[in-house]
Amino acid sequence: MHTYYPKTVWTRLFDLFNCLALFLFSFLVLFPFWNQICISASNLKVYSMKDVVWLPIDFNLEAYQMALTDVRIGKAALISVLRVLVGTTTSLFCTGLLAYVTTIRWFRGAKYLRRIFLFTMYFSGGMIPTYLAYINLGLFNSFWVYIVPSLINAYYMLLIASYIAGLPDALTEAARIDGASELRIYIRLIIPICVPVFAAISVYTAVYHWNAWFDTTLYVPSGDWDTLQIYLRRILLEVEAFSKIEDASTAYAKFKSLAPQSMRAAVTIIATVPIVIVYPLLQRYFITGITIGSVKQ
Amino acid sequence: MKPTRKAAITRRRKRFIKERELWILFAIMLVWVGVICYYPMYGLIIAFKQYVPGRSIQSAAWVGFKYFKQFFSSPDFPYVIRNTLVISGLNLLFGFPAPIILAVMLNEMRMRRTKRIIQTISYLPHFISWVVTASLLFTLLNSEGLINKFLLDIGLIDTRINWLNDGQYFWGILVTANIWKNVGFSSIIFLSAMSGIDQELYQAGAVDGLGRAGQIWHITLPGIRVTVILLGILQLGSILNAGFEQQLLLGNDLTRRYYEVIDTYAYKYGVQLGNYSYGTAVGLMKGLISVSLVFLANALSRKTMDIAVI
Repeated sequence: MHTYYPKTVWTRLFDLFNCLALFLFSFLVLFPFWNQICISASNLKVYSMKDVVWLPIDFNLEAYQMALTDVRIGKAALISVLRVLVGTTTSLFCTGLLAYVTTIRWFRGAKYLRRIFLFTMYFSGGMIPTYLAYINLGLFNSFWVYIVPSLINAYYMLLIASYIAGLPDALTEAARIDGASELRIYIRLIIPICVPVFAAISVYTAVYHWNAWFDTTLYVPSGDWDTLQIYLRRILLEVEAFSKIEDASTAYAKFKSLAPQSMRAAVTIIATVPIVIVYPLLQRYFITGITIGSVKQ
Repeated sequence: MKPTRKAAITRRRKRFIKERELWILFAIMLVWVGVICYYPMYGLIIAFKQYVPGRSIQSAAWVGFKYFKQFFSSPDFPYVIRNTLVISGLNLLFGFPAPIILAVMLNEMRMRRTKRIIQTISYLPHFISWVVTASLLFTLLNSEGLINKFLLDIGLIDTRINWLNDGQYFWGILVTANIWKNVGFSSIIFLSAMSGIDQELYQAGAVDGLGRAGQIWHITLPGIRVTVILLGILQLGSILNAGFEQQLLLGNDLTRRYYEVIDTYAYKYGVQLGNYSYGTAVGLMKGLISVSLVFLANALSRKTMDIAVI
C-alpha cells in the first residue's frame, strides 16, 4: 500500500470522506437484506411494512416456522440442493476432462475439439430453437434439463486449459509411461493439482445452479422439479397480485393467517442464507478465477 | 538390439491404445456438443419457414424473410429497440465507471482489515439471484415501502408512489439495481490491475510533488488504462444485451413499454404466444448483430491495444 504523499489536512480529510463513503456504500448493500430479515420476523398482521425500519416489531418467527414445515418449500429446497450438488460435480468433471484432453499436445484431435467448443461461445441456436430442440430430446419436464445442458462450459474449459498448460509435461508423461490410462491421469493427477481453478469454477457453477430460475419456467412448466427460486418467484407474483386486488381475505386464506409479505421475506432469506454462508469462505478462489481469466485476455 | 525394438513396438502400440482412448472421449464430447449446441442451431432455419408446432421442421413451408419484415414493420419495433439501446446505454454510462471509482476508493483505503470486510460485503449482491433481488426491490419500492417513507420524511415527495408500476421510473430502477448487484464484483479486476502498478512510480511521483489526487490521476488511473479500455470495448460489443431476467422479474403489464427489450420480446412472442418462427427470427437477427459487434470490438482492441480477446 502506497503512502507516498504528504500528510496534510487535505489528505486526512480525503481519508475521512473516503471511509465515510465506503461505509455508506456497505450500508446500502447490506440494509435491504437487514430490512428483509426484520420484516420476516415482524408481526405484519397488526403492523404495516412501513413501520419496520431498523428492528423487527413484535418479534416472532412464525413465518420461518411455517416456511420450514411447508412440504412444498421443503421439496423445492431439496431439489435446489440436488441440482447444485449433481450439477456442479458433473459439470466440473466433464469441463475439466475436456480441458485436459484439449491440452494433450500429441493428440491430433485436441485442436479440433477446442475449436468445436470455442465456436459455441459465439454462436448458439438462441432461446426458441434450443427450447424446441430440448423438447425433441426428451429433456422437457425432466430434472436432467438442469444438468445435461450445463455439463460443459466452453469458457471454463479455457480457464482450466490455460491452468493445465502451465504445468510441466513431465508430470503426466511419467504416469503415461507407467501405463496409466488418460482417465486415470485426469482423476488422480490433474484434478488434485487443479484444485485452485476447480474451486473457483465450482463457486461460479454452484451459484449459477442455486440461482437459476428461468430454465425451470421454460423447460419444466409441469412444476414437478420446482426449485426454491421458482417457489420464491411464485410467491412474488402472488403477493403482487394480492396487493393489486387488495383482497386481504384471499391473501390471508392463502397464507394461513400470515401476512403474505412476511412469508415472502422469510423465503427470500432462506434462499439467500446458503450463499451468504458459502461465498466469503471461497473468496480467495473466485478472485483467483477472475485473475486467471484476465491473464487469458 | 532386439529388446529395444520390441520396446519400441510396444510403446507404439501403447500409444495407439492411448490415442484410441482419447478418440473415444472425443466422440463422447462430440455427441454432447452436437446434440446440445449444434442441433439447436439447425432449428434456426424455422426463422425462414412457417413452422407449425407439433409438425416437423422439414415439412414447414419456406417464407423467406417474412418474419424479419414483420418485426421491422411491427408497432412494437420502435420501443423495443429504444428500450434495448437506452437500457444498455445507461448500463454502460453509469455501470461501467462505477466499479472503477469503487476500486480507486478501496485502493486508497489504508485500514486493511476494514478494507477487506468492505470488499467482501461488496461481492454479496453479485452472488444472490435476481429473484431475491426482485423480492428486495418489491419490498423497498412498494407503496408501503421504506423508499416512500424516506422520501416522504425528507419532503421530496408528498404522496406515496408505486415505483414499479410507473414506466417512467423503470430504467432508473433497473440500472440502479444492475449497478448495486455488480459494482463490487466488477471492481475486483480493476483492483488486481492496480496492485500490479509499480510502487516506485508513486515514490517518484511524490518526489516530483504529486499530491494525493495527482497520484490517483497521473499514476493509478493510467496504470489500469489497458484493463479499462479492454473491458470498455468488450462491453460495447455486447450493447444489445440489455438484460433479461431483471426485466422479466421487475416488469409488469403497466411498465411493458419501458422494460420490453429484444430478448424478452422474442421470448414473449416465441414461447408464450407460440409464434416460434417469429420469435426465432427476432432472436436470430439480434444474435447476428451481436456476434458481429463482438468481432468488431475484438478487431478494434487488436488494432488499438494490440490485444486480442477472442
